[in-house]
Amino acid sequence: MSAFSRYRIAHRTTYQYSEPVAICQNQLRMVPRAISSPLFRVDCLTANVGISPDPDMMTEHTDYFGNHVVSFAIESSHSELAVQVQSEVSVRQHRNITDAASEPWQQLRDGLENGHDPNWLETNEYLFESPRVRRSKAFLKYAEASFHQGRCLVEAAMDLTHRIHQDFRYDPQVTHVETSIEDAFQLRAGVCQDFAHIQIACLRSIGLPARYVSGYLRTEPAEGARRLIGADQSHAWVSLYAGPQLGWIDLDPTNDCATGTSHVPICFGRDYSDVTPMRGVVIGGGAPQLEVSVDVENIDGEEEYKRVQS
Amino acid sequence: MLTTDTPFARYQPLAGSYDEFRDRHGRIRPSWQGIADHLDRMDVSGVAARTAEARRLVRASSANFQLPRENGDQVRPWHLAIVPLVFDEPSWLKLESGLAQRVRVLEWVLNDLLGQQRLLKERVLPPQLLSANPFFLRAYHDFPVKDSAVTRQNLNLTATDLARDNDGTWWVTGDRTRAPSGLGFALENRVITSRILPQLIRQSNVTRLASFFSALQQHFSSIATRSRENPRIAILTPGEESYRYVEDAYLAGYLGYTLVQGRDLAIRGNRVFLKTLGGLLPIDVLWRHISDDHCDPLELDPSATQGATGMLGAIRAGNVAVANSIGSVLAQMPALSPFLNHASRFFFGEDLVLPSVATYWCGSAQERQYVLDNLDDLVLRDAFVVSGDPPVVPNQLTRAERDTWVAKIKAQPHRYVGQSRPKRSTTPVWQDGCLQSWHVALRSFQVQTADGVKVLPGGLSRVSPDVEALDHSPRSGRLGQDCWVLSSSPVDHEMTLLPSPDATLSLTRSGAELPSRVAENLFWLGRYAERSESIARLLRTTMVRITSESYLTSVSYLGDLPDLPRLTAALAAVGQIEPDHAIEEFTETVPDLELILPDSIFDRQQPCGLTASVIQMVDKAVAVRDRLSMDAYRIITRIGDDLTAPRVDKGPDLTGMIERVNRLITDLLAFAGLTTESMTRTHGWRFLQLGRRIERGYQTAELLAATLTRPLVNESSLLESVLRATDSMMTYRSRYMLQLQAAAVIDLLITDDTNPRSLAYQAEQITTLISQLPTDPNEFSLGQDQRLAEAVTHRIRMSQPMVLAHMDGSGSREQLLSLLQYLFEALANLSNAVAARYLIHAGVTQSLTGRVDDIRREPSEANPTGSDSVS
Repeated sequence: MSAFSRYRIAHRTTYQYSEPVAICQNQLRMVPRAISSPLFRVDCLTANVGISPDPDMMTEHTDYFGNHVVSFAIESSHSELAVQVQSEVSVRQHRNITDAASEPWQQLRDGLENGHDPNWLETNEYLFESPRVRRSKAFLKYAEASFHQGRCLVEAAMDLTHRIHQDFRYDPQVTHVETSIEDAFQLRAGVCQDFAHIQIACLRSIGLPARYVSGYLRTEPAEGARRLIGADQSHAWVSLYAGPQLGWIDLDPTNDCATGTSHVPICFGRDYSDVTPMRGVVIGGGAPQLEVSVDVENIDGEEEYKRVQS
Repeated sequence: MLTTDTPFARYQPLAGSYDEFRDRHGRIRPSWQGIADHLDRMDVSGVAARTAEARRLVRASSANFQLPRENGDQVRPWHLAIVPLVFDEPSWLKLESGLAQRVRVLEWVLNDLLGQQRLLKERVLPPQLLSANPFFLRAYHDFPVKDSAVTRQNLNLTATDLARDNDGTWWVTGDRTRAPSGLGFALENRVITSRILPQLIRQSNVTRLASFFSALQQHFSSIATRSRENPRIAILTPGEESYRYVEDAYLAGYLGYTLVQGRDLAIRGNRVFLKTLGGLLPIDVLWRHISDDHCDPLELDPSATQGATGMLGAIRAGNVAVANSIGSVLAQMPALSPFLNHASRFFFGEDLVLPSVATYWCGSAQERQYVLDNLDDLVLRDAFVVSGDPPVVPNQLTRAERDTWVAKIKAQPHRYVGQSRPKRSTTPVWQDGCLQSWHVALRSFQVQTADGVKVLPGGLSRVSPDVEALDHSPRSGRLGQDCWVLSSSPVDHEMTLLPSPDATLSLTRSGAELPSRVAENLFWLGRYAERSESIARLLRTTMVRITSESYLTSVSYLGDLPDLPRLTAALAAVGQIEPDHAIEEFTETVPDLELILPDSIFDRQQPCGLTASVIQMVDKAVAVRDRLSMDAYRIITRIGDDLTAPRVDKGPDLTGMIERVNRLITDLLAFAGLTTESMTRTHGWRFLQLGRRIERGYQTAELLAATLTRPLVNESSLLESVLRATDSMMTYRSRYMLQLQAAAVIDLLITDDTNPRSLAYQAEQITTLISQLPTDPNEFSLGQDQRLAEAVTHRIRMSQPMVLAHMDGSGSREQLLSLLQYLFEALANLSNAVAARYLIHAGVTQSLTGRVDDIRREPSEANPTGSDSVS
C-alpha cells in the first residue's frame, strides 16, 4: 500500500492590540520540515512567510531538533500583527504501520539501553523528562496495561493509543495551555496536546523514546457540504521509535489511529515547549485579541508531484 | 632563629592534615621563612594592629560598601586574614600547568557537547549527561559561527576550586565555567594586603596580578565581533539585589568596563545596545554574570528579566560576543567530573595532571551501587547543577531522611552524584591573639586567550576551622586570604593596567553614554540627599530650640517657645514625625518632644523620615557606585556606618542627638561639595542636581507653609529658626543685623535668586539644567518639563516679598500660601515630567506564548475528532 497527498496550507495568525506595541520580537515554528522514515516521507515543497507590518529584522535558522525557525522583530509602533505562513507539502506513506511486524517491546528497549540499536543515541533525547513531560509510576502503571510481557511493540502501542482515546474525554473547556499533564491525567480529559503529552509520558515511563509532533489534520467536509476555508486545525500527536526497520511511527491518540496522509507534520521535539508555533515578547499591547485560521487544501496529483520533484 | 613567644613560633599545625607552613617534621617550609620572620618581628601587637587595619580597609573599600539588610545578607562574604597563603614558584608552576590543561579539556568537551557531540557518539560520555539534563536548554546547542574560519571559543574566564590532600597533592573539588565569582575579591584582597604589608610583599617577590588582568582585557577586546579599536565591553550584572553586584561594580571600575543590567539593554536589528539618555549605543562584548537560561526570555526562560529579549538572535547573527558563551554552564556539572579524564585522553591523548575529587555518577549501575553501599563516606549532590546549597551528608541524616534519599536515587539515578569529601590542608590564621591552624579552600582563576590559558598567579583563598564549611559554597568560610606566588626572579613593579601613553585615544567630552537607569538613580540620589539634609537641619534647629530653653521647662514654655508648634508642624509636614504631634492646640509638654524627636531619628518606618531618606540615599549611591568617586563613597560609607551604629543614648539625650545630626549634616555637605567640585558636568551630574534642586524647592516650600503662612504675634524667634533651618542665617545677619522681619526673610528664601537656598534659585537652576538635557532634534516646541520649569521660575519672579508677607484680615498670608500651594503641585508635576521624558524607557513587557496556543489548538465544531475523519 502506498498513499500520497499534496496540500496547500495557509496558517494565518492575527493579533489586535488594545494599546500600541512599541516593539515585538517573535519566533515562528510554522514552516513544515522534511521528514523521512522507512514508513513515510514528508517534503515541504514551498514555504512563504508573510508578516504585516513589515518586520525590521527577519532571520531563519534550524533548531536542535532540525525544525525550521523564523525569527523576526518589528521595532516601530503597531497595533496589529498578522503572520501568514503558506506552504505546499507532500505526504507519502509507503506502508501501513499496522501491517508491519515488529519486535517485542522489551527487546527494543534493551537494545536501546545497551547501545546495540543503531539509533541508540538519537533516541536517547526522547527518553527522559522534558519541560512538559515527567515520567512517573502512575504513567508507568497505565502503560503497563498495554505493554505486557513479550507483546509486539506496534500492537502494544496501538493498544495504548486506543485506550487513551477511550479513557479520555475530548473537552477543550477543562484544560488550557498551561495545564500540567498530571492534572490532565487525573481529569481524564483534555485536547490533543494533553493526550499527546500523556501518551509520551506513558511511553517514556516504560523506557521507550517518544516525541511530540505538531502539525495539521486535513478534514473532509460532510457529504454535500462545502469545505469551509480555515476550518482545518492545528493538531498534535505522538511519534514513537519502533526499531531500525520501522523507524519512528506516528500515533494520534485524539483520533485513535496511526497517522496517514491526512496528517501533515510541521515540527517535532520532546514536547509542546520545543515546538510552540509562535512565541514572542512584546512591549505594550494592552489586552491582545487573537484570531487564528488554518486552511489545508488538497492539491493532489502524483504527476504534479513528480513534476515538482524533477 | 625564632624565639619561642613570637606568633609563628607558637603556631601548632592541626594534626592529620598537610600544613602549608610547617612540614611534617615541624620545620618551616622555606618559602614561608621570610614571612614568618617579618611578622614575628612585628610581634603579637603588630600583627593584631595590622589585622585591625585590614578590617578597617575591608570596610572602607569600595567593594565592601554595604548596609546591614533586614535579611542579614552580607555583601562581602568574609573579612581578610592578613597572613597570606604562600606558594613557591616550582609548586605553583606545576599547579598552573594542571589548571591550564583542565581549562583546555573543558573547552573541548563543551565545544563538542554544544556541537558535534563526538564524545557521545564514541561513547566517551553517557548521553544522559545531556538528554536527561534539565539544565541543558536545547537552544544552547550549536550557535553557528558566522565566519567559519573562526574557531568558536566558549570559555573565557573560568575558575577551579582546589583542596590539598595530606600528601600535598592538589585536588579539584569543582569547576566554575559559567560566570565564576570571586575574581574581584581576589583582587581586592591583594590591594588591601599590599597596603598592610607593603614592605614584606616587595621583599618577598610576590608575582603581581596586573599582567593577568591585562591579558583578560586584551582578550575581551579581541573577541569583539566587529573589529574595532575600542570596543564597548560591558559586564552584565544581575542587579543591585544580587550578591554579585558589589564585585561586578568593583571589577567594572577596575577594568574600565560599563556595568549594565538587563533593563539597560535593547536589541534592535539583531544588535545589542545600551539604552542611554543620548540614544542607543552598540555593545560589542558582554561579559555576562547572569545564568545561561536567564539571558533571553524569547528563546530561554520566558520569565527571566535579567537578560535581553533577542540576545540569542544577536549572537547567532554574529553581532555580539557573549562570554562565557551561553551554555557554558554545562561544563561545570558535577556528573562530568568522573568522565573528564577519558575526555582528555580522547582529545589530547593525555591524562589530567590535576585529579578531581572522587565523584560517582549514579546514572551508571555500578557507580550507583557503590554510592548506595558507601553512603556514610560520601556526600550527595545534584549531578547536573552546581548549587549554593550545602551537599546532602547521609551520615548526618535520620533514618527516615536517609531512606528518602535512597528512594530518590533509585527513582532517578541520573540526577545524583556521590562525592568523597576532600581533605584540606591547614594554614596559619590570626585569630583571638594567636596564629591558629585553619583549613584552606583555594579558588583559582584562568583566562583562555588565543595564546593559551593564563592563570591568575594566586587566587581567592578561604579559611575556616570547620573543614566541612568550606565544601558548602564558594561564599562559605570564615575569612579570606590573599594568595602569594613567590617569584624566583625580580618582579616588575611598574606593570599597570593603565593604557600605554602612546596609545591613540580619541578625545571625548561626551556624557551621553549615561544609561537611563543610572540617570534615574542619580536623580533620586540627589533627591534623597537633599531631603536628608533638609530634614536634618530642621531637626537640629528644633532640638536646639528645646535645649536652649530647657531650663524653663518647669514653667510655661509655650510662652517662651512660641515657635515650637510651628517647627513641629513643619517636621510633621515633611514626614519626620506623626502629624498628631503637631495638632493645632499644642498643649503637649516639651518633655514629650524630647522623647519623640530622638526616637524619630531612629525610626525606619516613617517612609519620608530622616533615616528612611538616608537609607534610600545610600541605596541609590550603591546602585550608581561606578559613577561616583572613591571619596564620595567614603562619605557614603561613613553616613551608613553612623546611621546603623547602635543607639547607646536611650532616653531624652538631646545633646547627643544634636551631635549625631551635626555629624550627618557635615557628611551630607561634604558629599554635596564633592559632587559640585569633582563631578564633570555630564548628564549624570545634571540629573543628580535636578533631583537636589527639585527636592530643595519642595522642602523649603513645606517649611515656609508650615511656619509663616499663619503668622505668630511675635514672629522673631520663629523667623530665626526658619533661617537656621535653611542655612540662611549668616546671609540674613550680614544684611539686616538683628532685625528680624517677615518680608526680609521671605525675600531671602523665596525671591532672592542670589541665595542658593532660595526658591527662585532652585527654579532657575532647574530651568537651566533641563535646557541642557538631550532633546530630540526633530522636536521644536518645549517639552512638558521645560514648560513647567519656565512657569515655576516665572511665577516666583513675579512675586513681591512685601505682598507675600502681607497679612490679610483673617490673620494669614494668603498670597504666600497660594504661591506655596502652587509650588507643591508644580514641583511634583515637574518631577514626573522629567521621569516620563528621560527615565522611563521601557513599557510593560508581555509574553505572547501562551495566548496564541490557547486558541489555536482548539478545533472548531466543524472538525470531528472521531476516527472516521482520518483516511
